[in-house]
Amino acid sequence: MGGYGDVELIKENGERLDGRLADELRPIKIEVGVLPAARGSCRMTWGLNIAEVAVYGPMEAHPRKIQRPDRAVLDVRYNMAPFSTSDRIRPGFNRRSREISKVTAEALESIVMVEMFPRSKIRVEIEILCAEAGTRCCGITAAAVALADAGIPMKDLLVSVAAGKINDVVVLDLDKAEDNYGQADLPVGIMPNTEELAFLQMDGDLSPEEFNLAMEYNMKAAKEIHKLQVEALKSKYTGGLE
Amino acid sequence: MVEIVPRLLRDQLKKLAENDSRIDGRNRFERREINLETNILTNAEGSSKVSWGGTVVYAGVKFSLREPYSDRPADGSLMTSAELRPVAHLRYEPGPPSPESIELGRVVDRGIRESGCIELSSLCVVPGESVWNVNLDIHVMSDDGNIFDACALAGIAALRTATVPAEKHDVGEDHPLPVSKTPIMCSYKKVGGRFVYDPNEQEELGGDERIHITLGDDGHVHSLQKGLKGTFSTAEFAEIFDNASTQAAELRNLIEEKVN
Repeated sequence: MGGYGDVELIKENGERLDGRLADELRPIKIEVGVLPAARGSCRMTWGLNIAEVAVYGPMEAHPRKIQRPDRAVLDVRYNMAPFSTSDRIRPGFNRRSREISKVTAEALESIVMVEMFPRSKIRVEIEILCAEAGTRCCGITAAAVALADAGIPMKDLLVSVAAGKINDVVVLDLDKAEDNYGQADLPVGIMPNTEELAFLQMDGDLSPEEFNLAMEYNMKAAKEIHKLQVEALKSKYTGGLE
Repeated sequence: MVEIVPRLLRDQLKKLAENDSRIDGRNRFERREINLETNILTNAEGSSKVSWGGTVVYAGVKFSLREPYSDRPADGSLMTSAELRPVAHLRYEPGPPSPESIELGRVVDRGIRESGCIELSSLCVVPGESVWNVNLDIHVMSDDGNIFDACALAGIAALRTATVPAEKHDVGEDHPLPVSKTPIMCSYKKVGGRFVYDPNEQEELGGDERIHITLGDDGHVHSLQKGLKGTFSTAEFAEIFDNASTQAAELRNLIEEKVN
């Protein structure tokens, strides 16, 4: 968080700079089966963010030291394309993408029935093609859909969404300006059917009351996004794909 | 790895070749359907997406200002890179770029660079002080065969739609990147004993050598590359070289339709 609480991000009429209300999401579109070489795939556009995810496996886990005798491991990579941000980023991993890959893997391992595939691995490749704040949420939400598209048994889908604070107001789904100049960001991963959390991060400054309101917004948004996930998965089989 | 399946596949491809047919029913020099989209990524100054059969490739252009090299004080630079990321296929593993990935990047780069489609002197802002560096990054998302041609097509299409972000850098007005030529790559693969155009994934798995030809607008050749094990005769080369000019003209039309 930049922590610049004095940059004006909410207009006098209470709308945010892009016209959204406090608890409103950016436009979201989810498509499945977009990468023919993959076993399962998903493309998600969320505001200006674009993430595409490919799932491969389950397959034999290599190198052998990563094998677990009682379960599958998830090999997750979150990667930003060099042209995805306003300044080109050098290809390859950095500390940020490694951390996001790690927490994403742990979130997805919590929903995939990994005990069904001992000694194997499931590869999840998250590629961010355009980034405008909230890419980790976009990647995780799309990854859950791609896993389902690949036919991997799961306890539930997973929706990742973030709420935060700008100009001392709790808002849902920060865009780039709100992320840069806001006061807090609280991304979570919610299992929509059980309302359990499989992913949680936060930075910034929130009072307990603000935290509760942010979580309330996140929970409500997760239900909305879950509907879109299910529709996208169904449409592959009902001819709804464009 | 012992490749048992490719041996069966090779036998099948050989039989198909004897009947002059292909595993997906195409003619020898028939290409798969292509869908080209341009300017689709907000944060790139030029972008494209190519869906070529089941192969999916994105390309994005970014600009940065740098000091010119002392021996070329009025020339900017173009850096093209194409990478085989693990997202694109089961067989691509993470790690440092493989020899195959490096070959892809270099062959695509040579075709674009050597065509002279971008005049490096047009990238000069203040001679001796600042010039543009153009970064063309090509991202392979799904490999269903013939990624070389898909990368080259995505690359030139992204350059053709790029805008130089001069305003953002406070060096004048935004303007289209001057691109004077449209180089096109055409790739052929020896499958079942004869060359076919636009190999799919199975033909790549069960075939032999491949040849990549990049042609400029005037039919001049700008890059050639023979890859993988195998030999070919000059007569075989003459046949595919001849075919390449037909294919290149069609693909060039496709770009012109989308870009203008």
